Amino acid sequence: MNILTLLIFIPVLFGIIIMLLPSSLRNSFKYITLLATLIQLGISIWMYLNFKTGANFGGINHEDQFQFVQKLPWISLNLGSFGKMQIDYFVGIDGISITLLVMTSLVMVIATLATWEIKSNLKGFFLLFLLLDMAVVGVFCALDFFLFYMFYELMLLPLYFLIGMWGGARREYAAIKFFLYTLFGSVFMLLVMVGLYLSVTDPATGNHTFNIVQMMNPANYSGNSVFSIAAHQTILGMPARTVGFVVLFIAFAIKVPVVPLHTWLPDAHVEAPTPVSIILAGILLKIGGYGIIRICIGIFPDVATNHAFWIGLLGVISILYGAFNALAQKDLKRMIAYSSVSHMGFVLLGIASQTAEGVSGAVMQMVSHGFLSTMLFFLVGVLYNRVHDRGINHFRGLGNLMPKYTAFVMIAFFASLGLPGFSAFVAEAFTLAGTFKSHNVNGLLPYWMAICGTLGILLGAAYFLWTLQRMFFGQESLKGGDVWKTALVDLNLREKLTLAPLAIIALVLGIMPSLVFDKVNDSVLALIQFLQAK
Amino acid sequence: MHDLLPHISVQLNNVFDSIRFFMPEIYLGALFLIVLITDLIFGKTSTTLCRIVACAGIVVVMFKDLQQVALILDGPHLIFTNMLLLSRGGVFFKLIIDLLAFILLLYFTWDDKLSSHQKGLADLYTITIASIFGLHLMVMAVNLLSIYLAIEIVSIASYLMVAYRTENAFSTEAGLKYVLFGAASSAIMLYGISLLYGFSGSLDLFSAGFIDQLSKVNTISSSFAVILVLVGIGFKLSFVPIHFWVPDVYQGAPTPVTAYLSTVPKIGAFALLFNFLPPFLLLGKWTGFDLSIILAVASIVTMIAGNFAAVIQSNVKRMLAYSSIGHTGFALMSVLILNQQGLSALTYYLFVYALANIGALVLATYFSNVAGVDNMDGYKGLGLKYPVAGVCFTIILVSLTGLPVSAGFTGKLFVFSAVYNIYQQSHNIWLVLLMGTGALTTVVSLFYYIKIPLNLFLKRADISEITYKKDYNPLILAVVISFVLVLLGIFPNFVIKYL
Repeated sequence: MNILTLLIFIPVLFGIIIMLLPSSLRNSFKYITLLATLIQLGISIWMYLNFKTGANFGGINHEDQFQFVQKLPWISLNLGSFGKMQIDYFVGIDGISITLLVMTSLVMVIATLATWEIKSNLKGFFLLFLLLDMAVVGVFCALDFFLFYMFYELMLLPLYFLIGMWGGARREYAAIKFFLYTLFGSVFMLLVMVGLYLSVTDPATGNHTFNIVQMMNPANYSGNSVFSIAAHQTILGMPARTVGFVVLFIAFAIKVPVVPLHTWLPDAHVEAPTPVSIILAGILLKIGGYGIIRICIGIFPDVATNHAFWIGLLGVISILYGAFNALAQKDLKRMIAYSSVSHMGFVLLGIASQTAEGVSGAVMQMVSHGFLSTMLFFLVGVLYNRVHDRGINHFRGLGNLMPKYTAFVMIAFFASLGLPGFSAFVAEAFTLAGTFKSHNVNGLLPYWMAICGTLGILLGAAYFLWTLQRMFFGQESLKGGDVWKTALVDLNLREKLTLAPLAIIALVLGIMPSLVFDKVNDSVLALIQFLQAK
Repeated sequence: MHDLLPHISVQLNNVFDSIRFFMPEIYLGALFLIVLITDLIFGKTSTTLCRIVACAGIVVVMFKDLQQVALILDGPHLIFTNMLLLSRGGVFFKLIIDLLAFILLLYFTWDDKLSSHQKGLADLYTITIASIFGLHLMVMAVNLLSIYLAIEIVSIASYLMVAYRTENAFSTEAGLKYVLFGAASSAIMLYGISLLYGFSGSLDLFSAGFIDQLSKVNTISSSFAVILVLVGIGFKLSFVPIHFWVPDVYQGAPTPVTAYLSTVPKIGAFALLFNFLPPFLLLGKWTGFDLSIILAVASIVTMIAGNFAAVIQSNVKRMLAYSSIGHTGFALMSVLILNQQGLSALTYYLFVYALANIGALVLATYFSNVAGVDNMDGYKGLGLKYPVAGVCFTIILVSLTGLPVSAGFTGKLFVFSAVYNIYQQSHNIWLVLLMGTGALTTVVSLFYYIKIPLNLFLKRADISEITYKKDYNPLILAVVISFVLVLLGIFPNFVIKYL
């Protein structure tokens, strides 16, 4: 049994157990789910420890350099005179996926610990939760485009129901908006995927293949195919490869989300129950960034380089627009949702710079934001569970009332705003360094983009500190009066146990970023080399 | 007379030779008579007996279909003096039609409204068998005469089925509308056929002279004649602009009949279209309008009209009616390609569409039986009360939308692949537009399909005092269909490798 396959499908095994158990045991479902996610975490840590590094394990465009690979023939279809279609069950990881996988597994554990607040339809909730778990892990491991697409789409339906059934007041609107946005992106991605596989043949078998790694090699494109680099085909008058890149980029940009495709995010994050918000912010946004690195840039490196300026510009717009919006929010959860938009803008900026620093910073930012947004959303959930309100101006002086809670909030806020010593600082510093360097090294991004990025950090400090000041400092004053005061008890043990590891990780990654960089480095260098060679 | 004598023996030999290629249809004819006689002998109480006989008979016919696979290994056969064509694709179409017919025959009595009919359902089985016979002919017809005959057999059977039980003015109106429009479209088609015969002097689509003669005629006249024939076929397929009868008839007809109408005749008509088009599109001698452009436009308009109209519906059956129009548009895309890959994509797509559509209507029956609701509003909160049915409904609708992991997704993938492949050779701009519309309407279709799970699970039920009943048969069928749809979503190889 391949360890990676096990990692992907463990949630399903536990899901089947939950499905078969009678509803009278519903209180045990959360422990079963917790066990599943803990096993997953164990496996991913084991893989992290056994992950080999070195120039021979870069991955990216070398199929033999991926680790924990499993490749099984899955669907093959004879296309008559057009050759054969070959779809494999092909999973494997390189440096970029391993860090995200560990992050995902840990966030899943935290999300499970946040499910204690769910009270209704437990069986349905945990089944959908585990299905979603399988899909997100699968996305990070899949190296066959068809398989990737399957997992990618499989996330949508569970999320729709998780938001729609257990969400807040406007849950139906938020759920369908999320669903339609993402589907809009991915349906057109399907068209590009079909075009790609018909363009690419596997040199080993001569079949048309969905293999992502093979798609990265220009030599595998047949001469006159739509997406061939040499053929310069056009679609509706536009260069075919540019169209393909833009379509894929839009699909992933919706997920990231990149302004102006971000409008689903505040609604979905705010209406979703805490565990789902955690998964959305912690993991799903990273799938967008991961997709851009692995698929958009990997398959269309030439277009990515030509249009790097625009990608960077979108990143900068996201950083600033997200930050300004976060400043204006009155709802704590909405504020954090917009801060996610801002922080994910750095990922895009780093990727656009196409420098080793920039791309490493982008991956680091994804990992760091995964933990920090999880912490932030969990903290909002704590407050909301107690008084069912999260208006920023409805609270004042929480610091006296809930000192431990305030301590964790301060850690999360300071870490998020990029205080040196925390992971976000390292990530943003690297991203900006890469952006500055880009002007001299490859001339893709101008200096002012880096400056705007720095401005984004400043704005981040502004909205976090201002929120801290408004909600936690000063004289105690609550909208709900004494009722709220009794309800607002400090953190319990479960909550402390959930938050402590996150705070520690944020600190550890800030002091020892090598934990991530060591694993990522070879892949990033391979990617940069690949981008320069193309 | 004496001059013709040698011809008679040749003709007779041809007929006798052809019979061995015609076994499933002979069995169907016999089955029709047996069911009819059973009905006559046992009278009103014969529903159960007729059902058993009909279902068992269809299984035998399927077996006979399978035996035909061996006959066509050496290529397609023209039989009965070029009236019918037995091809590989045709055999699979027949198999699929028979399989779906088997499911439908099982399903008829499970609908409480239909089975409460005072006359009993025995006649319905007779009519259905007759229509399946017509569908078999439709799949094989390559002569304008046999095409017309086949379509008429199916149409007349359908008229009877739609009006079989008319519970209110609405369904009576639907039945009448269907007959009137159907008769009009047959007349139009017959006019087109007679024009074609007049122009070409032949009814045989594949005869050498047919297209040659036709190309000598004024292009507007010949195009006009072909378009008239396409109207007749299009009526069965229900593509825009000949789709207007669909919503009323689908909503007004008993649900199992809707399930029948929206699936098997459509498959038959697509098979017919696939046989009808090659002389005009592939030979290169056709001088009239480019039919592929006409059909491409029809396909795009159909996808858009069907899917957007479905968004505003509140009745489940009516919504499914519009969505089936949308699916017609999508499937039409793969007809335009006219190659083996297009045919297998089309067959697979139609099969999974039909399976899912029957599943959806079975569940509509189920909810109508247990809770007495036909509108989406009535579905509120029912998913939590009937979790199995709710989950199945969701899976089936996911498949109809075409999302992974479901058979509908793989169907869409194969159709897109087939179209893309041709695009790669020809760079025909219409194909890009077709695929773009297909992708866009998928998003639209999600918007209305998801309304059912939305009502089932997300909305809270109004407090009501309805006594809920239990009903197992439709549920079991729905579970089986959902399982097959998911299975084909993961392993489409099980079916596609044979097509």
